[in-house]
Amino acid sequence: MIPEDPENTMPSEMAARQPGDPERREFMAKAVSIVAGGAIVSVPVGVGIATLVSPIFGEGQGGIKIRLAAVEDLPGDGSPKLYQVVAERTDAWTKYPEKPLGSVFLRKLENGGVAAFNSSCPHAGCSVGFKSKEEGYYCPCHESVFLLDGSMGKFCVSPRGLDSLEVDKDRLKDGEVWVTFQNFAAGIEEKRAI
Amino acid sequence: MKEFFNWIDDRTGIAKLTREALFESVPGGARWRYVWGSTLSFAIMVQFITGIFLWMGYSSSATTAWESVYYIQNEMSFGWLLRGIHHWTAQIMVILLVLHLVQVVIDSAYRAPREFNFWFGVILLFITLAISLTGYLLPWDQKGFWATKVATNLAGIVPVIGGDLQKIIIGGSDYGHHTLTRFFALHAGVLPGALVALVVVHIYLFRRHGITEAKPATKAGALYYWSLLGVVFGALTVMAFIFEDSAKQWVPWIVSGVFAGIVVRIAFLLIRGGDDDSASRPKRDGMFWPDQILRDAIACAAVMAAVLFFVFWKSTELTAPADPSQPYNAARPDWYFMSLFQMLKFPVFKGALGLLIGAIIVPSILVTAVFLMPLIGKSRIGHWVNVVMLYLLIGGFVVLTAMGFNHDANDEDYKRGVANAHADAKRLNELILINGGIPPAGALTLLYSDPKIRGARLFAANCASCHPHGGGDGMGGEVKEPSAPDLKGVGSREWIAGLLDHKRYTSAEYFGNTKFKEGKMAGHLDDIEMLQADIDAVSAALASEGRVAGYSLPEGGQKFIDSGFDLMFNDLECADCHGIQGEDEGKGPSLTGYMSREWMVNFVGNPAHEDLYGKKNDRMPSFLSMKKEDGTVKEGQLSRQDVELIVGWLRGEWPKAGDVEK
Repeated sequence: MIPEDPENTMPSEMAARQPGDPERREFMAKAVSIVAGGAIVSVPVGVGIATLVSPIFGEGQGGIKIRLAAVEDLPGDGSPKLYQVVAERTDAWTKYPEKPLGSVFLRKLENGGVAAFNSSCPHAGCSVGFKSKEEGYYCPCHESVFLLDGSMGKFCVSPRGLDSLEVDKDRLKDGEVWVTFQNFAAGIEEKRAI
Repeated sequence: MKEFFNWIDDRTGIAKLTREALFESVPGGARWRYVWGSTLSFAIMVQFITGIFLWMGYSSSATTAWESVYYIQNEMSFGWLLRGIHHWTAQIMVILLVLHLVQVVIDSAYRAPREFNFWFGVILLFITLAISLTGYLLPWDQKGFWATKVATNLAGIVPVIGGDLQKIIIGGSDYGHHTLTRFFALHAGVLPGALVALVVVHIYLFRRHGITEAKPATKAGALYYWSLLGVVFGALTVMAFIFEDSAKQWVPWIVSGVFAGIVVRIAFLLIRGGDDDSASRPKRDGMFWPDQILRDAIACAAVMAAVLFFVFWKSTELTAPADPSQPYNAARPDWYFMSLFQMLKFPVFKGALGLLIGAIIVPSILVTAVFLMPLIGKSRIGHWVNVVMLYLLIGGFVVLTAMGFNHDANDEDYKRGVANAHADAKRLNELILINGGIPPAGALTLLYSDPKIRGARLFAANCASCHPHGGGDGMGGEVKEPSAPDLKGVGSREWIAGLLDHKRYTSAEYFGNTKFKEGKMAGHLDDIEMLQADIDAVSAALASEGRVAGYSLPEGGQKFIDSGFDLMFNDLECADCHGIQGEDEGKGPSLTGYMSREWMVNFVGNPAHEDLYGKKNDRMPSFLSMKKEDGTVKEGQLSRQDVELIVGWLRGEWPKAGDVEK
């Protein structure tokens, strides 16, 4: 224990009124040190965190419209065919003239239209495969089954069916299949583009 | 000399520090069961050393990560050993962590005043798992890519912040350069920094409170250990019998044999009265140096030996480079996350809520339970609750992991996925050798321009719905309804000879499933009844036009070939329909340059061309762009480069490693 300095012991209301009081000065020094020190450190930390979280504010690359096939290339019996999506894309500093982005199932519908699904499983993002018209699509990770029309099968842990992609109706009339390729957030019920 | 040391000691106090570090008292004497903490420190040190040297060879970007790891693994002197040690020590470290945790819980070393040390230890466990998870992605191969995609998607389901959290983790909305730079900074900077800081605190606290003396009733201690082994092998036995593999019937018997042995040992421990073990043990206290350190060193040597054993036995995997457009049927996390992965297959965890519960809430509850152990374990009953809880956790972990691996071992899609990724990686190594290096755009570009890999894939995707290749789709998959000729060996003498045999021509192997089964050619073959000698000569003549890979002059040389052409022009009347050797007359497909690269590209490009099938074409689409009658262009399904790759693959023409040496 440090012995009390008789000069410093005075009634508290007095201390509050005396600006030159050493205890009060010490408190001020501590407060200023902590606040100023914190403020100084927050400069590099703040800047660092600002760059770290910057992807939140950046815009996604959005969907890209791409020609995948001619309608007549698709199997006539309505079974789906997997197409690779390779397109121009910028990743940070690199601009790829042709970058593999994902893959899409296309299938002919009875009404003459074409259905397109992103092959990425809406559960956790693995790539689903097509088994047969009866068995539908199958995810090799958590064994979800999707029916031919992309809806959830009997055993399916996925929160939603396969994500359908927009097919350009005008070009379809000319026999061309143009699809807006897009990825969607996995693991949730809502089909949210990312 | 002594003065010099005194001077250093005076300025630094190193002598006291060393004394304190080494002359720690070990109550009850040095023991083998105290080695786990030291083996862990050793493993961490190994990871730091090998990690820093790997760092010197690694480059974290989407076009250089796989490439630099390839270089470390295959080109750098002893790189394979360096990477192997780093990889396998990481695996063994997880096991050591669990053993350390088990040790602490069994000996109730978390009790007052050591609660904080236990909590720091659990945090260290999770930092280690996070380092493993981030390290898994760094080679940027198919395995790491798809596993990380799943893991980061799970981060995305966290309520409210999930979407943003995922973007921050992967550095944008898509996987790429910034995913790697971020994971690498975490793996090599942030997390190891935190690890070191916490290990220092952990060891400081350990020294502050001293070692927990396994009190002992050594018998009770032994019982704990044997019963833990019993839980593990009991779970394995149940698994082995449920999922019996007819090819490996010995597995359940071996596992249950070990289990029976453990049960007998436990029974023996229970029946035998008294504590003769502890009676025979010297009661005097030992010193950390050298009594305990000797044991620690031997244990660390055993760890290193185990690591090297795995490096040499299993080597260190590097699958094909990451490709988001190339589905990977073997997307799996590392083995210590397999139980969580397997759990998510259960229908209980169905849907968005189920996934949230299975992937986030249940693991969080388990982690919380482990954190609460020091508080639960205050009483004797609480301690037993902890031990049982830990056994259940480990038992559950073993069962789920075994279920996952068992499923994969019997899953054809999974096995094909692994086999293809390995084949790709192997072929890529060959291509890099042939090319003399990797192009600046990355290794994937080599795979994409290789007929052997890319050609086969394009064939499977575009041709195999009708044409089989050796009965399959060319990629190990099946062709459900083959409706066109099997193209394996197309253009070779054997393949052409089969075509000329009426029986085989009209079978499913060739044109049995097409309208040509009833066509002119089938009828002609039936009429002329070719002799075997004629078939040999004609197939030799036609094969000399295409000269696919493996072509060699037939016995009888050019004369024999000429005799074949002679037959075609005269006796066999082939020239009535087919163009031969540039003399084009008939309406059938031209046989000039038959099955040559150019002929095949034209054929795949437009089989309905007037020189080929013309109007008689049966369902075969035109794969290249072409002008329609109204002047518009019909875009083809494939680019010319893709068609050339398919043709190159069918003809067996791809660069081979042996070509370089020549």
